[in-house]
Amino acid sequence: MTADTGEVLGAVRATSPHRAEDAPTRRTPLRPRLTRRGRIEAGYFWLFISPWLIGFVGFLLGPMISSVYISLTEWDSFTDPVFVGLDNYTEALTGDPVFWKALWNTFFYAAVSVPVGLAIGVWLANLLNKKVRGRKFFRTLIYLPTLVPLVATAMVFKMVLAPSGPLNDLLGLFGVDGPNWLLDPTWVKPGLIVLSTWGAGAATVLLLSAMNGIPREFYEAAEIDGAGPIRQFWSITFPMITPIIFFNLIMGLIGAFQIFSQVYILTDGGPDNASLTVVPLLFREAFGFYHLGYASAVAWLLFVVIIGFTILAFRTARGWVFYETEVR
Amino acid sequence: MYTKAQKRTRLGLAATAILGMAALTACGADGGGGGEEADGVANLTMTVWGGDNDKKTYQDRIDLLEAAHPEIKVDLQLIPGDQYDQKVQTMIAGGDGPDIMQVAEGVNVYSSKNQLLPLDELVAEADLDLEGRFGPVGTLYSYEDKVYAIPDRSGAMIVYYNKDLFDAAGLEYPNADWTWEDAQAAMEKITNPADGVWGYGGAGWWAQWWSFAYQNGGQIIDDAGKPAANSPEVVEALQWANDLTHKHHVVPTAEEYADMGPDMGGDPAFAAGRLGMNTTGFWAIGGLLEADFNWDIAPMWGGEEQAVSAFGSGLAISRDSENPDAAFTAIDFLTDVEAQGLIIENAQDVPANIEVQKSDAFLKPTWAGTTEINMAAFGESSDFVFTSPLIPEWTEMQAAFSDNLGTFWNEGGDAKTQLDVIQAKLESVVE
Repeated sequence: MTADTGEVLGAVRATSPHRAEDAPTRRTPLRPRLTRRGRIEAGYFWLFISPWLIGFVGFLLGPMISSVYISLTEWDSFTDPVFVGLDNYTEALTGDPVFWKALWNTFFYAAVSVPVGLAIGVWLANLLNKKVRGRKFFRTLIYLPTLVPLVATAMVFKMVLAPSGPLNDLLGLFGVDGPNWLLDPTWVKPGLIVLSTWGAGAATVLLLSAMNGIPREFYEAAEIDGAGPIRQFWSITFPMITPIIFFNLIMGLIGAFQIFSQVYILTDGGPDNASLTVVPLLFREAFGFYHLGYASAVAWLLFVVIIGFTILAFRTARGWVFYETEVR
Repeated sequence: MYTKAQKRTRLGLAATAILGMAALTACGADGGGGGEEADGVANLTMTVWGGDNDKKTYQDRIDLLEAAHPEIKVDLQLIPGDQYDQKVQTMIAGGDGPDIMQVAEGVNVYSSKNQLLPLDELVAEADLDLEGRFGPVGTLYSYEDKVYAIPDRSGAMIVYYNKDLFDAAGLEYPNADWTWEDAQAAMEKITNPADGVWGYGGAGWWAQWWSFAYQNGGQIIDDAGKPAANSPEVVEALQWANDLTHKHHVVPTAEEYADMGPDMGGDPAFAAGRLGMNTTGFWAIGGLLEADFNWDIAPMWGGEEQAVSAFGSGLAISRDSENPDAAFTAIDFLTDVEAQGLIIENAQDVPANIEVQKSDAFLKPTWAGTTEINMAAFGESSDFVFTSPLIPEWTEMQAAFSDNLGTFWNEGGDAKTQLDVIQAKLESVVE
């Protein structure tokens, strides 16, 4: 996860036009001759990188390329694939209402669960950043849910989201007549979103460490200028943690578009496909109906959607993500 | 928590696994691994699904086989039920399919794609009388007039009833002569929502409401192989099954089930003593032996005619088998009286072998102890088991039903409207 943070942040910097280290890079000669030591070091580099490289080519790049081919065929995994061109893609986009329903469900889930999760994460981190007693205890408590296996969580949430379960009891205290979360086509997606907020603690930990890294002087200066706690939060804390928020946004988007286990365990896509998202759909097509070609096409369509949203996020990031090290 | 691209490459990984397996198999074939060895011992692999008891029972039967046929060695692979299809699919696609493979409703996914060996010749060579040994289910696992699997386990769906609740209501116990009206009358008498007691566990599962449909003279797929899911007979049966919950309220609603606990349904609710009747398979018996109320089983009631679904599984030989003769000898032995006896001895399931079903070992099983169980209900039911439409598109057909009946079961609705939608979907799915 930490490695990924660097990756995403690094990528942001790479796309930024004000890269400080740009100038020296250009001045170095194109290809320096390797010394003997350099060659040995390069040898070690290839030696130590090879496990990853082999794994990447064999288990990621290879399958990805073959899945492009599979997506252009009709293949049941037993008999020989039949090349059908772009039929699977046109079928998904024009002929299959279930695909659009699943895509809409996935959009809905991502559009709500990601911002809600981030808001809760920031709020919890801000609370924990105060000098309260038992801070460490609460911090552990908030991270704990992320460590519980998803299957166990899902089982618990089946009870929590039951028509007369604890959540509806809680809503009842405020005079709200809670819905039949997982049984009602309108409420099953919000039900899954409730489950997703359970994992907000993962973001909290990252955000909290970012908040801890903000120099005290900023706040002291702000206080002298007469800024209250709310002004301090929006003018200092929030801008300083935007890189971490951005990281969580990207990872959250990718995760939300690929939601699988929760759906598979809690509802299996029901009732009436109201909670069927794209990955459960392609799983069902591939391993339930033996339409591996169609499922591969769906996988690539999902890939395009995710890439699209990620690019969109990176584009807009310049407007709101603030890096202290960069002069603007 | 989220690994990038993890889910997207799920398929890719499967593909690699397949490629990898193909490579391994190729090596294996060169090295002479698998198949017949120099000393004439045939090594067979056999895949089955299930839990601990299933594993024990299959292994016990294999031990018996190996003792009787020293020239055959079987390597048993138990795969958890929810992964079975995927796993076997991958094995077959990699050219390393099991010699003997357990199959059920999905059998024709494989047979229609030419992945199973037609068994007719082997059956004839072995002088095996399928009808004689297994009764009406003998040729259940057929596709285009060829037999692809030999029945191994086969039991009709039966009615479990709570004797205490029936006695308290002063009702006669369920029996095969009952009609829908009789059944509904009994359910109404037993239902008492104040005590959290209902007459019946519901018929939302295909095996349950399809039984009603066939009792009513309907068919899901007609004799010509065309979908007939919205015929008036099927509509009436589905509507009745649904009305039991939402109109007559003698069955707990989905909401009421969800409030009883996670994964609640007819089987656990019956075991908790909250249902008068529940229709399910043999597997519920084991758990009920510990129940603190009196219960028994009966054959399914009837409608216009008698009909009930049956569950079971058969044993098939995959196309890849290097030693089909030995595999068939093994299947022949495993489905014969001696080995089938172990299925009931371990309380695993109903053996498909009719002779075993009629034996004392089955009718008065030792594990029942002092509990009197009307085991003859299974034999009685086998006379009117309807033949499930085991079409190659079985899973897609099931999805067509579950995709369009979710809200219908949860909240009630009009059976005709839903079945019209399903019929249209089935017509596009079934060739």
